[in-house]
Amino acid sequence: MFKHLFKLIWNKKKQNSLLIVEILLSFLVMFAVFSFGVNSYRNYAKPMGINYEHVWVITYNNSLKTTNSDSLTLFYEGLLRNIKALPQVQNASFTSGNVPFSNSHSTSAFMYQGKKIDRVNQFTVDENYTNTLGIKVIEGHWYNKQDAGSKTRVTIINNMLKEKLFGKASAIGKFINYYEDKNKIKIIGVINDIKFDGDYQSADISMYNRYDTSAYHWMSKILLKVSPDADASFESHLSKMLSNSLKNSNIEIEHLPNKLKSYNKITLVPLIILSIVAAFLIINVALGIFGVLWYNINKRRGEIGLRRAIGASGGSVSSQLVNEALIVATFSLIIGSFFAVQFPLLNVFDLPASVYLTALGLAILFIYFVVLACSLYPGKQAAAIYPAVALHEE
Amino acid sequence: MISLKNIEKVYRTTNIETLALNNISLNIAKGEFLSIMGPSGCGKSTLLNIMGLLDAPSKGQIEIAEQTTEKLSDKQLARFRNQKLGFIFQSYHLINDLQVLDNVELPLLYRDASARERRQLASEALEKVGLSNRMKHFPTQLSGGQRQRVAIARAIVGKPEIILADEPTGNLDSAMGNEIMEILINLNQKDSTTIVMVTHDENMAQKTHRLVRLFDGSQVL
Ligand SMILES: Nc1ncnc2c1ncn2[C@@H]1O[C@H](COP(=O)(O)OP(=O)(O)O)[C@@H](O)[C@H]1O
Ligand SMILES: [Mg+2]
Repeated sequence: MFKHLFKLIWNKKKQNSLLIVEILLSFLVMFAVFSFGVNSYRNYAKPMGINYEHVWVITYNNSLKTTNSDSLTLFYEGLLRNIKALPQVQNASFTSGNVPFSNSHSTSAFMYQGKKIDRVNQFTVDENYTNTLGIKVIEGHWYNKQDAGSKTRVTIINNMLKEKLFGKASAIGKFINYYEDKNKIKIIGVINDIKFDGDYQSADISMYNRYDTSAYHWMSKILLKVSPDADASFESHLSKMLSNSLKNSNIEIEHLPNKLKSYNKITLVPLIILSIVAAFLIINVALGIFGVLWYNINKRRGEIGLRRAIGASGGSVSSQLVNEALIVATFSLIIGSFFAVQFPLLNVFDLPASVYLTALGLAILFIYFVVLACSLYPGKQAAAIYPAVALHEE
Repeated sequence: MISLKNIEKVYRTTNIETLALNNISLNIAKGEFLSIMGPSGCGKSTLLNIMGLLDAPSKGQIEIAEQTTEKLSDKQLARFRNQKLGFIFQSYHLINDLQVLDNVELPLLYRDASARERRQLASEALEKVGLSNRMKHFPTQLSGGQRQRVAIARAIVGKPEIILADEPTGNLDSAMGNEIMEILINLNQKDSTTIVMVTHDENMAQKTHRLVRLFDGSQVL
């Protein structure tokens, strides 16, 4: 029977081609939606890599008149000490502007053993960074007082960059250098990956450099870990204290959980738009499939009556029509899968192949489900056609 | 072979009630070739549909091939039609998207038959109607007479005991009509298939064993 239906559809491929193209298109859109969705979900399921609860971000600008590095260091170290002395403050850390969830990125290219690594995220941080954000050191150690005096330049990388460069091997003691800069930089530590672009974006290869005293000229953020009882009145107290110390500077205090929330919204917008477009398309296609099957059944009343006369029960007529729709969908899905597998093969968007394969599976299931749902009712109608009537009209 | 007792058929639509068959009783013997005549709308097709178990009577009993049919389910009726009955229609009812051979195989798809067996039986049936050389054609590439011969091949491929033909020559000129008639007579004589044929043509009716005339749903002869 399957071969018979296949033959019937094959011989009618011209009539079926519009439907095949429609299903193909919606399959491809669903594949995109699911790829996007699966990727977002996988990112979401991964740990954030930092503890952002009760972490505040102070933004300031260096408004001191002096350009002398020593005086700057003296001033800012004093400031940090004063902040830390507040009872509500558990930890504080100077950092470059690219704090988590701020949509601020700075990247550089590196060389390792003659191989260029593009777009490594660069963070300039201090000794308190890991403690303030609850970051784990996986290998080696985080910056401490002793490193400050060391003559060789040192750096700390995240796990993702470590695996990219060294695989399972240890990263400690290995050297890398900036692209077009021969100076060797020694890796002294590896920390866990951090999803600094929010819940739904992947972590990225990153490198954490220790600030040097010249960095006080341009550093503009302080991360604060506060106690749970730090409230609005404390915040205004803190703000006043900062304004007094840093005259003529704009002080802004933000809460990291809020930054995460608003950043998550931004990253989900494309998925939401795509889903809405997909929903409209799917409704259209579903109506299309429904309409075509409905039309087919009315055009094929004679055939249906004949099949009943020569031995088909109502049930077998209805399952025939459903099966035909599923076979037509299979044509589309075969063509569609051919396109879909190009994405992992050509590594189009730098997503893991398993994301595409999961999305492919989901899109196939989804399309079969829609086609099945749209053909059940017309199939049932076909079973209800009265053969004695259908055979004598025309 | 076929026994109808006090058959009555009433069609009810929202505001009209049509008495299509009025108290018809008829016995058809095994191997008989019976023709039914009557003016348009007198109930010939209705009678044939009831014999073919495509429609149920409003009243009365039917027994076909030693089987009373009232209590059969939709599935059982379908199976019964598939095994015991062959249908031929005025408008052929071939599937235009399937080749002749596939059209003829159709009834065998609804029973357990291997692809080879189906091919074999369908080729034999086409040979019987003289269309062995048209197996790979599509119905639209054939003349009306040839199409009806394909339909006959389809009706006999499952070796049914009874053939029900509703105006099989109605769309054909007399030469083609005679060809079809020859085939039916042959089937009746050689395989002793019981045939019930509705016709408008006195000449065709003359060639059958017995003629039943209907008028306004009642048997007049
Ligand atoms: N499905 C139906 N619904 C209502 N009336 C019908 C139906 N089929 C046939 N009839 C009526 O029953 C009568 C007999 O029809 P039919 O058996 O087709 O006549 P014939 O084949 O002799 O021309 C006609 O009056 C016709 O209008
Ligand atoms: Mg009629």
